[in-house]
Amino acid sequence: MNSASLSAPLLLLVGAFAPSLATAGREVSTSSTTATRTSTTPLVPPAPELTEQELRAIEESTLGEPPPASADSGVVQGLSRALQSMNPAMSFILDVAAGYFTIDTPDQRGAHDPSRTGFTFQQLELSVNANVDPFFRFDANLVFGEFGVEIEEAYASTLRLPGNFQLRAGQFLTRFGRINGTHPHQWSFMDQPLVNAKFFGGEGSRGLALEVSWLAPLPWYLELVASSGNPTGDCCARSFLGDAEIPLTGPEDLLYTLALEQFIPFDPSWSLSVGLSSQLGPNNTGPGNRSVIHGADLYLRYRPVDSTERAALSWQTEVMFRSRQVPGDLLQDLGLYSQLVWNLSLRWELGLRYEFVTGVAEDPLDLDWDAERQRYAAQVTFYPSHFSRVRAQVNHDYPRYAEAYWAFLVNLEVLVGAHGAHQF
Amino acid sequence: MSPIARILTLCLLVVPATAQAKLQVVASVPDLAAIASAIGSEHVDVVCLTSPNQDPHYVDPRPSFMVTLNRADLLVVIGLDLESSWLGRLITNSRNPEIQVGSNGYLEVSSVVERLQVPNTPIDRAMGDIHAGGNPHFLLDPRRARSVAQAIAGRLALLAPNHAKDFNAKLEQLDRQLLIVATEARERFQTLTPGQRQVVAYHQSLAYLLDWLGLTPIATVEPRPGIAPSPSHTALVLRTMRSTKTHTLLQESYYQRGPSETLARLANARLYVFPGGADFEGGESYVERLRKLSQGLFEVLGASNAAVSGD
Repeated sequence: MNSASLSAPLLLLVGAFAPSLATAGREVSTSSTTATRTSTTPLVPPAPELTEQELRAIEESTLGEPPPASADSGVVQGLSRALQSMNPAMSFILDVAAGYFTIDTPDQRGAHDPSRTGFTFQQLELSVNANVDPFFRFDANLVFGEFGVEIEEAYASTLRLPGNFQLRAGQFLTRFGRINGTHPHQWSFMDQPLVNAKFFGGEGSRGLALEVSWLAPLPWYLELVASSGNPTGDCCARSFLGDAEIPLTGPEDLLYTLALEQFIPFDPSWSLSVGLSSQLGPNNTGPGNRSVIHGADLYLRYRPVDSTERAALSWQTEVMFRSRQVPGDLLQDLGLYSQLVWNLSLRWELGLRYEFVTGVAEDPLDLDWDAERQRYAAQVTFYPSHFSRVRAQVNHDYPRYAEAYWAFLVNLEVLVGAHGAHQF
Repeated sequence: MSPIARILTLCLLVVPATAQAKLQVVASVPDLAAIASAIGSEHVDVVCLTSPNQDPHYVDPRPSFMVTLNRADLLVVIGLDLESSWLGRLITNSRNPEIQVGSNGYLEVSSVVERLQVPNTPIDRAMGDIHAGGNPHFLLDPRRARSVAQAIAGRLALLAPNHAKDFNAKLEQLDRQLLIVATEARERFQTLTPGQRQVVAYHQSLAYLLDWLGLTPIATVEPRPGIAPSPSHTALVLRTMRSTKTHTLLQESYYQRGPSETLARLANARLYVFPGGADFEGGESYVERLRKLSQGLFEVLGASNAAVSGD
């Protein structure tokens, strides 16, 4: 590459910056007269009946002396504005783990679980989001894993629909219960609950879909969510078509999910979330055969608002029941997990989890998991800052259909870039 | 089902009763709520999402906030990423087009304030949890609050032009009070000796308070913003306090007190803990809060004289 082709982009770059730097320079001169003039938004948008002179008079009579601004702050603020861009907010979240399992082939089901003795690259998630325009917001989560890149989520949400409605369209995690709609880095434990893995798949229920949700005009939070998507993918729709290559013929072949979420704040410290969810869709055992999953979830949280240690205690439980129509039979099983997470201080967190999932004997659709399974887990987390955590977790796993085992896991999670909003 | 049925009946009674013409204002922090309430007075209902003893950086994004935001005509926030970890998604999901970023019902007051600690070098989180746009705790300075009050008055007038005169009258009144508080306290603090005006803050959140009152920051108990104090850094702060003869520690009530209390004991200093905002629920005005804050602080700094002579 010759020097001319190098300098051209450089010139462009300088050209792009020059006007903004000039603006920054101008602002220095005005900021010494009125500090408030450096703002980009109008301070007092004129009310209809006021003239420019009246406004000026009010401004003069109310403004008084501006706070003494240091000489360079105007420059710096101008500079930071020059560096403003329309880039979306982006962050990378890395999860890596090391583990020791007491058997050679542990039955870890989550796609991002630590899954073997030695190291596991759980995931590197690139989260990107921004408002598209006044009408849509864009969110995407691209996951780089050991086996390549997947578009975990990429969707648009509406911002201005009337009647308290909101639409989401694209690829996203289904809002079913509490865990399914969230990403591994939002979980307290470093592996996916067994029931989610068995009923939905290692990636959870997720896919191309359209969702409509409605916030009820009530004094408390009650949201109804309905979505419809493709019932395909072994990762994400195990109880439905899974990886069977069956063409869809009409709306009756789609996957439908309905959820109702409520939130009851008892006081500023105590609160309770409860939800009910159902998912219905075709399965791959013959025309007209369907599967249905019903779930109930509960999240009780105590966080003293004025705790200087950011202490909190939360109890989260999900129960799911599944029923699948197969030729001449109805297969039914259920599963649950229940976890208690205690944030002791800014830096330490403890968690306990119990899981129980039943199996159908000689399940034709789930040959390698046809009996009951229980798992106990305990974890301790250390937070060096708000952007990193180190976790240690012990699992004791009892599958009735295989050998019981222990797992000793450690995980490191780090986040760089924009700090995304938490979910309750 | 019976409690749910009871709530349902209750809400049927409540919903029509709450339908009125007052402007619904939601504020992220109590100081903003108190300012908005002072200007809007009888024409607005102000709801504050957080309490004065709650750290505004770390708030649980309760779904109930979504209901509050859904009905808001105006949302007033500090900005500069102070609320970004909890408020962003709630705004998106509030299903209220009027309070989305860029709408008239969304006001980020940091846009009208002359900020401090705007990073002038490339930033990195190795520096701690710093705010890229500058320090967001500017409501600890009444002079900057004057611009904030003006911006709020302007926005209220835009949303309810019929009451613009009232808003402007209230703004003038508040502005005068703020100017008096600002000037009186500043002059009063000038009577302290330079030694008495030296302070150690817990977090880098007090820049504006120190700027207003002419105080000198000596160190922060946190080694970097958002990083919990380590033994070695705390020891360094102690040595610095001793060598500079600093006898006052300051912090908001929502930060942990253990390290500051230990430092106060070992350095023969006083720890002054104050609420992070006005007691808006309790009816405290923003001006009252500033008076109480500066009065309390003045007494502590003034008393450090005795501590110095006792050394």
